[in-house]
Amino acid sequence: MIRLLFALLFAATSLRAADPAVLTLKTMTAQMKYDSSELLVLPGQPVKILFENGDDLPHNLVFCQPGTDTTAMAMKQMENAEAALKRNWLPDDKRIWAHSKMLNPHEKETLAFTAPEKPGTYPYVCTFPGHALTMRGELKVAPLGDTLHDLHFALYLGNWSKLPDFSKLKPHREGKVEDNLIQVKLDDYKNEFGVVFTGKLTAPKKGSYRFFISSDDGSRLLIDGKEVVAYDGIHPAGDIKEKGVQLEQGEHEFRLEYFQGGGNIELYAAWKGSDFQITPLSKWLHPNWKGGAKKQKEFDPIPLAATNEPVIYRNFIQGTGNRAIAVGYPGGINLAWSAESMNLALVWRGAFIDAARHWNSRGGGHEKPLGYDVLQPTGEVTPAFFVNEKPDAQWPKWDKTKRYDGFEWKGYTLDAKRSPTFRYTWQGAEIEESFTTEGNGNKADAGAKLIRTVKVVGKLPENGWYRIGTGTFEAKDGSFVLKSSQAYRITAAGAQIAGQNLVIPAKPGTMTITYQWAQ
Amino acid sequence: MNRILSLLLALGPSLWAADPVESDFYKITTFQTPKETALEVGSIDLMPDGKLALGTRRGEIWIVSGAGSSDPSAVSYKLFASGLHEVLGIAYNPKDKNIYATTRHEVTRLKDVDGDGRADVFDNVNDSWGVSGDYHEYALGSNFDKNGDLWVTLCLTGSFSSSVPFRGWALRIKPDGKMVPTCSGIRSPGGVGFDADGEVYYCDNQGPWHGSCTLQHLVPGSFQGHPGGNIWYDLAPNMGPKPIDPIPEAFQGERGRKDARPGGDPGRMVKERERIKQLLPPAVYLVHGKIGNSASAIICDLSGGKFGPFAKQLFVADQSHSNLSRVFLETINGIKQGVVFPFRGGFTSGLIGGRMDEEGRVFVGGSDRGWGARGGKPYCFEKCEWTGKTPFEVHEMRAKPDGFELTFTQPVDPATAGDVKSYSMREFTYAYREQYGGDEIDEILPKITAAKVAEDGKSVRLTITPLTKGHIHELHLDGVRNAEKLPLLHKVGYYTLNEIPGE
Repeated sequence: MIRLLFALLFAATSLRAADPAVLTLKTMTAQMKYDSSELLVLPGQPVKILFENGDDLPHNLVFCQPGTDTTAMAMKQMENAEAALKRNWLPDDKRIWAHSKMLNPHEKETLAFTAPEKPGTYPYVCTFPGHALTMRGELKVAPLGDTLHDLHFALYLGNWSKLPDFSKLKPHREGKVEDNLIQVKLDDYKNEFGVVFTGKLTAPKKGSYRFFISSDDGSRLLIDGKEVVAYDGIHPAGDIKEKGVQLEQGEHEFRLEYFQGGGNIELYAAWKGSDFQITPLSKWLHPNWKGGAKKQKEFDPIPLAATNEPVIYRNFIQGTGNRAIAVGYPGGINLAWSAESMNLALVWRGAFIDAARHWNSRGGGHEKPLGYDVLQPTGEVTPAFFVNEKPDAQWPKWDKTKRYDGFEWKGYTLDAKRSPTFRYTWQGAEIEESFTTEGNGNKADAGAKLIRTVKVVGKLPENGWYRIGTGTFEAKDGSFVLKSSQAYRITAAGAQIAGQNLVIPAKPGTMTITYQWAQ
Repeated sequence: MNRILSLLLALGPSLWAADPVESDFYKITTFQTPKETALEVGSIDLMPDGKLALGTRRGEIWIVSGAGSSDPSAVSYKLFASGLHEVLGIAYNPKDKNIYATTRHEVTRLKDVDGDGRADVFDNVNDSWGVSGDYHEYALGSNFDKNGDLWVTLCLTGSFSSSVPFRGWALRIKPDGKMVPTCSGIRSPGGVGFDADGEVYYCDNQGPWHGSCTLQHLVPGSFQGHPGGNIWYDLAPNMGPKPIDPIPEAFQGERGRKDARPGGDPGRMVKERERIKQLLPPAVYLVHGKIGNSASAIICDLSGGKFGPFAKQLFVADQSHSNLSRVFLETINGIKQGVVFPFRGGFTSGLIGGRMDEEGRVFVGGSDRGWGARGGKPYCFEKCEWTGKTPFEVHEMRAKPDGFELTFTQPVDPATAGDVKSYSMREFTYAYREQYGGDEIDEILPKITAAKVAEDGKSVRLTITPLTKGHIHELHLDGVRNAEKLPLLHKVGYYTLNEIPGE
């Protein structure tokens, strides 16, 4: 964060991009990540990055063109690992425009380049095998916006606990702010005063803009006489308040009202547009002000990984509902099972899951798989078993307020390899589902697959179906291939295409279903 | 010179030694925790052979050995299970020798079939409540009660409402796995525990309909105060008719939840009790900001004196204040009420789980995650033990028709304890309102008209005018000394007077 502030400070003091951005980027020890996932520079700005590898593994730092799938780029090297090794794991890829050496543990290197002239988000990544999934970030290249002009202040004296109606008060003193930056000069009054700043701000085009303020004590910001964002009352400058607003192209009236009760005096303002990065309008910079001004605090990743046995993670998982059980198998093939719908919800390969969202702060929200090629063979939180005369019928959709009738969740049992078998009943019949994996999910392996075994004991209703896939499937070489951008293949004895459903007639006995990526 | 010295000596030892402090009487031991995890303790139960089972917010269950030893380095940990969705309740069942975990959406029975010390069968015992995916929907479970039931208290969806069944309820899970809806009216539970008679209590947290954190008695069939979850009475025919709503005074017209009501909030628990027959007032208000901020575990002293002089009293943990407070309860007119005193601060993180063993060792642990805690560390596992020295404390405080009777852990100095000027009292309550939290209001400063010391010197009878039904009676005992002329270790207590006893 400090280096972002420096970048901002440099930027703030000079709008010309000639002042260099000096940044430090380190690798974290045993965490497979850089210590910053975002760097911020101006277009065409000279950049110096002191890159320090504090980890016990080799790492590099490779900058790519916007839109590059860095994980795929890094993984592609494995197709010809021998040649890649000779290149010291630097991919032979035209989208790379700057890079460091492959640093040995505890080496450092200063990387100097000129930031691209074209604003955009330029991903950076470590291309050493297996690192790209988590060791990555974004270099954001964006110019600064306009700053205030014709800035004036009016000082009022008074003891308030909320912003007064300044229009009804007589200013104690008025004047011009020479450097056009919002500031409170501490040689005036230390307590019980208010200041109204007025000036002009130019929106480069019609569009949406975001304003940020923080203060100790209260403040509010108005554009063209309308309040955009307020942080009224007596308080420390702990929070940054922000609000978006639509502006026409051209000059706008800017007004910032502030009052001080007692104690600390702090006042910060900034704005941001779709074409420019967060640009300070105040002389002071809020200590929590990050480039890009993210609304959500981001946490250090806590990637969970299967070592020599499967790892299980029950929590809120995107696409799996609220009773999810994710399983990461050794070898980089993963699944998420729903104890709501009693069905396989997701299959993916590569890294398992990042627990940081749930294991930091209050742990809210649904986490998505950390890996890639995420398959959702059937609908979200919808059961596999369903009774209908027509197998091409609509399967039930998830009603978040209800449980599915006819299903009872029983639990799971770990086998000798600590791989789970999920147990439930449907219409009184006992069902057990277990999974094995083949191949390597951590690289582009056409043999990587998930094999699902379903054992049904007991009587099943007439016209019962077990759905194993949804979408447009095509029968091919004894398998069923999904025709979509994310192509994959399902193999199962007795399976049939019924409209958008791929189904097996539900009968007692054992079903074996294989899910395999198309390549 | 000599004269001065002898004068000083006559004034008593307090001039020479510093006043007693909590750590003189109760010692805290901070355990090293396993390096491979953040041991965010959410629940604790006792296992055979002096072992403990710890459930964590990260969904792990650890079996701890050696925590009872006087040598803290004797502690060792074994990971029994992982990957559960937040273990805020753990219970060892001596009948089937299995561990039961209350997690976000399920009570799970964990069996170690192959005997390798790790669970391999995870049975769903009961999962009949809803989860909407909201972070606030915590599920806090108990140890087994005297009937072999588990109690699960379910936080609302956020602070105000209940979007899926039984959010805002206490449920009992019977030994056969059946669920019985047991109490409504819960907002944000922090822990479930038992008193010496096996009665069940939970802690609720300051928020809507709660001016302060509270200790509440879970009487089956009762409504605990927050109406947000009462929409599920249709699913609980055993509970009888749905209670009528408390006056909906918070939202009127354009006013938002955070806006104050012009003219103040008229609702009072003591008045609404007369109108809403199922409404049970909190047994004890854990006065906000003074006793704690975020009440959690409830720990009963069943050690028969091994934890000092407070046998059968309750100890309530707090996440934000990282402390334990002490509660003495009595039953007046069929309702639980009592007093809370500060007891021991200085734990190193926010306390969530807690349990006392038969030897009077209190094991606690927790984390500061999400709400912050005074302790300063992100998580902890600690032990609190009596040093063997008896602190000078108010032992019990009982309501009388015209005042209170205090007993002390040591004989009092009759001169100071018998002087009404050694005491002061303030009475207040909180509005019973939908708006979040609330001030201490309706303040009354009563007169203490008499302080009569009993002949044995161990109790004092205070006569107070007026006593106010429904008010918290905040008693200060700044002037009271023991026979050695030492002051009380804690000079303030807060008695919740739900009922004034008859003559």
